[in-house]
Amino acid sequence: MSDYKKYQCSICGHIYDEAEGDPDTGVMPGTLWEDIPADWRCPECGAEKSAYDLIV
Amino acid sequence: MQIVIIGSGVAGVSFAERYRALSPDDEITVVTREHDGYYSRPLLSRGFTKADIEQSIILKPFDKLRENNINVLCGVEVTAINRVDKSIAINSSWSPRFPTDCDTSAVPDSRQKKALQYDKLIIAQGSAAFIPPPFRPYEKLFFCLNSLVDLKALRKFRQDFLNKNQRPSWAIVGGGLIGCEVASDLAVAGDDVTLFHAMDRLMERQLVAEDSALLLKVLQDSGVKVLLNQAVKEIVKEDGMVCVRTEITAEFDGLLVACGFKPRTELAELAGLEIGRGIKVNQQMQTSDESIFALGDVAELPNGKLYAFILPIRNQALWLAEFLAGQKQDSWTPPVFTTKAKVHGFEAAHPYNV
Repeated sequence: MSDYKKYQCSICGHIYDEAEGDPDTGVMPGTLWEDIPADWRCPECGAEKSAYDLIV
Repeated sequence: MQIVIIGSGVAGVSFAERYRALSPDDEITVVTREHDGYYSRPLLSRGFTKADIEQSIILKPFDKLRENNINVLCGVEVTAINRVDKSIAINSSWSPRFPTDCDTSAVPDSRQKKALQYDKLIIAQGSAAFIPPPFRPYEKLFFCLNSLVDLKALRKFRQDFLNKNQRPSWAIVGGGLIGCEVASDLAVAGDDVTLFHAMDRLMERQLVAEDSALLLKVLQDSGVKVLLNQAVKEIVKEDGMVCVRTEITAEFDGLLVACGFKPRTELAELAGLEIGRGIKVNQQMQTSDESIFALGDVAELPNGKLYAFILPIRNQALWLAEFLAGQKQDSWTPPVFTTKAKVHGFEAAHPYNV
């Protein structure tokens, strides 16, 4: 049972899943959204972190 | 099966990656005129306030796609689509002006044309900047901002002024999304900017009147001189300055034309595909040739729409990859999406009309 959340980029639709992380951009699996550096960008479209919304 | 994709923007790259993941055995080749990798087009509008933009805009170097078993032929122009023998003609020496670190060894003789066979061809060439007819004789006098190559040219032009401790004065023609974004970014970067718009309010296609008024105020507050109802009649060069003639004549160091986009339909048209404003596709993104598909803002759907925003384009690309890999049978339906102008300090109060 995990409490990992998913966030979606409002610019391109990319989904960040905390369980999977984004190893290509140096974000390890299990990294919580708030622990991703503020200057991290959407790996698909370059949008800022603030462009992401929590998927509920 | 040999899948060939023309174009390395969000449509071509998203398709290639998803198809690769779903169909490990097919060969995938991306053919692109770009040199620098897959980059973020939305970030082009922030090209003057971000010092490291020329590097940070690159989201995926082409080698990263190659590591993923996707062939990439970069710095290459496609000169023809031959539908009879299902091949495209490519020419890798089209642009010697731009030095490249691209691996051209995949093209045996880089000075010569080469044909590349396909079983399925995906046209994802995107759009060029639309240049209104009155401006076309003066192409040497103005800039556009439609690609990273364009941005680098603008930044170099600007840097030459900064190196002399000067600030260039800019005229931007077109108060749509891109024109407003670039005007904002140049002004915030410290330059003197005048924005000419032919209509009576900014971004009239996407914004309600109230938000257009707010946008006007935000731009003015950041130092942009906004001139509405300005039909540009002529541009001329005098004493190293570019003159823009409307009712009055004004002089600028640099002129940027941002009057919308023109889908790159020329290749498809030469090949005899059905063309409207874009390349006509059915609900499966298939052109009038059953082996050829089109994606992104070059594709015109049966409802006459061309989708020019990242979200629906990426959605189309992922959908088509799944469809061609046999994972989807239905048809593509546009997702709900919105946009947001990247104008410093501007938040629209109402939804955008997309």
